[in-house]
Amino acid sequence: MRTVTFLPGYNKIVAPRGTTILDAAQRAGINMNVVCGGQGKCGKCVVYVQSGKTKFDREKFGRFFTEEELKQGACLACETTIQGDLSVIIPESTLIQEQKILVNGIDTAIEFHPSVKKYYVELQSPTLADPSPDLSRLLWGIQKGGGPIAEKMYAPLEVMREIPALLRHSDWKVTGTIALVPGGYRLIDLQENDTSQRLYGAAVDLGSTTVVAYLWDLITGKVAAVASNYNRQISCGEDILARVNYAQKNGIEKLQALAVDSINAALTTAANSARIDREDIYEVVVAGNTVMTHMLLGIDPAYIIKEPYVPVVQRALSVAAARIGLTCNKNCGLFAFPAVSDFIGGDIIADILACGMSEKEEISLLVDIGTNFEVVLGNKEWMFSCAGAAGPALEGGEVLFGMRANPGAIEKITIDPVTLAPAFSTISGIKPRGITGSGLIDILAELLSAGVIDRTGRINMEIKNPRIRAGAHFPEYVIAWARETDIRKDIVITENDIKNLIMSKASIHAACVTLMKEAGVSRLDIATIYFAGAFGNYINKKNATIIGLIPEIDLERIKNIGNGAVAGANLALINRRKRKLLDGIAGQIAYIELNAEPSFMDEYTSSVFLPHTDLSLFPRVQALLESIREKKEAP
Amino acid sequence: MIPEPNFGWTSTVGEVILGATRAEGGTRSRSYRIGGGTTLPFMEKGITSPSPLIAFEICDDSRFWSPIINEFCGDLIHDPGAWAKTAETTYGADLVRLCLTSTRQRDFSDIPTLGKTVETVLASTTLPLILEGSNEPKIDSEVFLKCGETGQGERLLLGTAEAGRYRSIAAAALAYNHSIIAQSPIDINLAKQLNILLTEIGVQKDHIVIDPYTGALGYGFEYSYSAMERIRFSALKGDADLAMPMICAPSDSLTIKEVREADTGVRNAIAVEWEFATSLAAAVAGAEIVCVRHPDTVKRLKAAFTGLKTRSGM
Amino acid sequence: MALKALDIYKLLPKKNCKECGDPTCLTFAMKLAAGKADIDICPYLDENAKSVLGATTRPPIKLVKLGVGERSFAVGDEFVLYRHDKTFYHPPGIMFKVLDTQSEEEIMAITARVRDETLTRVGADLKFNGTAIVNTSGTADAYAKAVASVEKTAGLPEVLVSDNPAALAAALVLCGSYHPLICAATQENYKQMCALAKQYGCRLVVRAPALDALAQLTKDCVAEGVKNLLIDPAPQTLGDFITRSTAIRQLAITRAVPDLGYPVYLDATAFDDEDAAIALGIVKYSSVIVTSPLSPASAKAVLTLRQNIYTDPQKPIQMNPGLYRVGTPGKDAPVLMTVNFSLTYFTLQGYLESSRVPCFMLIVDTEGLSVLTSVAAGKLNETLIRDAIRKFGVENEVTHRKLIIPGYSAPLSGRIEEATGWKVLVGPRDAAEIGEYLHQEWKP
Repeated sequence: MRTVTFLPGYNKIVAPRGTTILDAAQRAGINMNVVCGGQGKCGKCVVYVQSGKTKFDREKFGRFFTEEELKQGACLACETTIQGDLSVIIPESTLIQEQKILVNGIDTAIEFHPSVKKYYVELQSPTLADPSPDLSRLLWGIQKGGGPIAEKMYAPLEVMREIPALLRHSDWKVTGTIALVPGGYRLIDLQENDTSQRLYGAAVDLGSTTVVAYLWDLITGKVAAVASNYNRQISCGEDILARVNYAQKNGIEKLQALAVDSINAALTTAANSARIDREDIYEVVVAGNTVMTHMLLGIDPAYIIKEPYVPVVQRALSVAAARIGLTCNKNCGLFAFPAVSDFIGGDIIADILACGMSEKEEISLLVDIGTNFEVVLGNKEWMFSCAGAAGPALEGGEVLFGMRANPGAIEKITIDPVTLAPAFSTISGIKPRGITGSGLIDILAELLSAGVIDRTGRINMEIKNPRIRAGAHFPEYVIAWARETDIRKDIVITENDIKNLIMSKASIHAACVTLMKEAGVSRLDIATIYFAGAFGNYINKKNATIIGLIPEIDLERIKNIGNGAVAGANLALINRRKRKLLDGIAGQIAYIELNAEPSFMDEYTSSVFLPHTDLSLFPRVQALLESIREKKEAP
Repeated sequence: MIPEPNFGWTSTVGEVILGATRAEGGTRSRSYRIGGGTTLPFMEKGITSPSPLIAFEICDDSRFWSPIINEFCGDLIHDPGAWAKTAETTYGADLVRLCLTSTRQRDFSDIPTLGKTVETVLASTTLPLILEGSNEPKIDSEVFLKCGETGQGERLLLGTAEAGRYRSIAAAALAYNHSIIAQSPIDINLAKQLNILLTEIGVQKDHIVIDPYTGALGYGFEYSYSAMERIRFSALKGDADLAMPMICAPSDSLTIKEVREADTGVRNAIAVEWEFATSLAAAVAGAEIVCVRHPDTVKRLKAAFTGLKTRSGM
Repeated sequence: MALKALDIYKLLPKKNCKECGDPTCLTFAMKLAAGKADIDICPYLDENAKSVLGATTRPPIKLVKLGVGERSFAVGDEFVLYRHDKTFYHPPGIMFKVLDTQSEEEIMAITARVRDETLTRVGADLKFNGTAIVNTSGTADAYAKAVASVEKTAGLPEVLVSDNPAALAAALVLCGSYHPLICAATQENYKQMCALAKQYGCRLVVRAPALDALAQLTKDCVAEGVKNLLIDPAPQTLGDFITRSTAIRQLAITRAVPDLGYPVYLDATAFDDEDAAIALGIVKYSSVIVTSPLSPASAKAVLTLRQNIYTDPQKPIQMNPGLYRVGTPGKDAPVLMTVNFSLTYFTLQGYLESSRVPCFMLIVDTEGLSVLTSVAAGKLNETLIRDAIRKFGVENEVTHRKLIIPGYSAPLSGRIEEATGWKVLVGPRDAAEIGEYLHQEWKP
């Protein structure tokens, strides 16, 4: 076995020698661009082998690369096999979506215990000497074939009706599918002949904006394909509130259908790309926020958003996927993650499962950032959670040149403290079109370090530099001149943008501190901070700390789990034992209503400062800023 | 035996010097060292610590002043020099606060006259002076530099720095060694943030006086009172960024509905009552300087502060 | 200091049995920490935990109720020295003094004034609380007559101020069952006073100028069977008052001297400037304040100060959401939206009035949060604004469709436009600039 480390996420995976890098990456949950399905034809799955031994035919595939790139270790992941321990860089352009939707996140090896198994059995036909009933015969056969004890299995009426004809027609050679459901072992399907190698399951993150689906081969324990698309409910309203209102007016049916359509579409894309028959999907695990889960199941979500904010159901649910319209095997099961409250839904429970904080002695802080943010603090004994609106600034909204993580978005930036000239990189490496969340965090940190803005975010207009100017409405800093951009306009960040960003980051930090105060925990007690959510993976941890987005702790103790919702769903799909933890996690979390917390306003105001009004909470940032200032003043 | 109450203070309020006598390089008859408190106001063991100072506010353009005061003070309102002198000799104020309200006119640009007004007031009173400058960011720099220059050596207290407008006033204060009023809207965090901003551009902590903004009684005083208490509390608990003396100006008292719309017979009395109750409570919450506009309020505050400093010896 | 939820959690059995009605011990602990649950609901608490938790939840200052009926009030039961730590709960009762040497008409007039005078501010009716009947004459007859006059006029709480037990006894025949406050027991007379208080179930002021004597006296009175006590540290100067009252409060809430854990009584009439004494009494921990009948100016200021100080500084007073008029706005007058945090409302309203531009203020329900905070917490959103426009019929009031929103809510402008169909204009962040903004920017 060889260990492959994927950078920049430091995702580690153990794989047998000879496996392709693509296979290993997919097993590590990294979603690569494989247009040709891994046949070495499209040249999209470019990776850079930083160290370690591989096998790759440079003659044959050299046409995809420049000399320079080859020198840097460029190769096609689908055509490169692992020979030794590797360190592999995955450039952002290789990740699958144009919109970067995060898919990786788990850095520990996953145990493989699916809840659905297939057993191929060749039975003796009945005789007068052995006249035992068909069902007993079948179940005994399955038990002998390594399945559960016959007495503990049962067959639903629908399957029972098919048994006699099917057994005889197939000459007593059949494949039975056994699912472990709350009622016990259930024979959910019976097929002629040996189909035991065709067993798939799907893990789905049902987000209010995007749906991400992972298709797993439940025989090999590998990811077969990944697909994502927008949640089609967007046509009924941009945000959750609007959709609940829509449901109240027009009924839940359309929203339910659209949620199902969105998942079906993702499953179809994934299945097609891996040439899998959707009939072979036997289980779907869905993690979604509370409202999304309700809508998917066709349960009225109206009362979740009204005082006193009561969901209909909080616990994990197992239902037949066909009953809500998922196009999988007709006996496919659906497992929906439990929820805690209106704001802490199955997606957050999935985050918690993915980072494992509920199984650790040490105290972790989980921060999931999207348009809304959720924060969870705790360990195996206790957990506090809260949620709030961060505003879309950190996702690039409400910022003049903010944009989502699409090509041309500035995602990394540094600013020379003396000349104030920026150096940046964009997604896909094209000319800049705007700035994405991670880029905005960088800008804030860099402008502060360079002394362009003060700690309240105001631009110092006394600085004489062409990049600093009055602007049409607000003072602004020019990041890229029109001629350098793809949009023929100066890309700037205005003082107003900066204010919006600071307000967003302040909400999040204040939420963290509110939980810490509730628990009586200081930042020094926090062992790990986990970042989850759309842009979590691309965040510069140091800059996030400099601006005071999160409490200051050692940078190496900050971890990105990316799309924790799908990571958690993946875990629950391929390791059924993890599901037992879920209701426990949901029951263990105490939800704190920030609006009812009198100190929240205070914490918020003190967080509307870079990094924070109480500088003693950010000793390293303070030291760093002081040293930068001294260096600047020195010459 | 009953134990002494133990508040657990670990630190003291910082000090700021206002005004300069001839010996100190100025022309004032006295200078004040404010701050230095070691516990809650009026709870000092000895009664040697000074009473809060009472500043009487005057202006250079009475169109922007309360009609109640204009009526009460008569012709003085057109003569800042005489008004300042009366504040010292008749009203019994400890400080004069000159508000350059003339800068509120549209497109104001007559900086030289401002300088003359400041000169006149400095010549007419021997009290240390608080100067409340520009109301328009565009002319901040000129106004503050003029004020600072005119009052060079007098250790003025210049107002008012805010989070969005502090660079010009700080530059003037640094250039001519004056102190600054740092005003934030009724919030301990915002007060602290402004102090940090000021110290980061070079203003010394002993040149900053905090104005936590005093909402009038019934119009925000419920928040002002606690903001002041918290600031004092933080100072005594060792937060150096909040360990500055405080100034309180319940100027809104004269414009609130209760006063504005009161019958003429009681209007004056309500105005005084409002200023008095707000200032007294503010002093108890921690203000070292209280600013008032009604001459009658000065006398009542003086008496109350004396009462607060007096112990019957039991 | 109050215990944190997690500290309490550590003392709980951690069985998550749900028998208390909460899903987990942790949520129960949070309720306990917030004072929203009683420890006795937990069936599995051990004795040690009970005593630890019980000691921190019992009020350090005794709750005392004065009077009966609608105008009765309670004082004490306070937990903090600084209102920002929690809040002050029970505002002091302000009692107008009447003398038994005054004419019946005078006495009845003062009593009627206490009964009727009301100041309505931010939705609350503020009133004075009762009378303090002083036995100036020194005779029992005159005193009983004065008390009868008061009783005849109103069923208000009363303070009976006399050092003559005979006079008090005569008065108590008339009003003894209405829980009056007897003033005052001293080292010399406390046994007689306690006997009277006990006989009629009265509340009793104990007076001594030194704190150790006061503590001893409360102990003695409790031993005599009188528990509903107030304490008067007999200040002669304002300095005496603030030092003694602060010390009493501090020693009581820290439980350093439990015998001082009673509400404080202040006789403001002993000071030259009664207004100053009342103001200090309100901010520095008095629970019953006796004053001469106040001038209209003083009355307004005192009631307002008391309302301010007894407002939870963390929970802003809220305005009723609605459409408010400034001046007499016409069909083309501007509509300004803001939050129902009273300070925001009054500040904006003040500046709007002085701008002399007639306009509408659309106040939306952010549960009293300021603009900045309500935006951050997601309370202020386009749905709320859209619903408010509908609910308060704004579309019938103006012909234009333009909404001015606070500068700090600028991030919501796009979404508000979408949800409401109104054009959104972003106003200034500082209300002080609204006048200039309207003059320069507003065109219907």
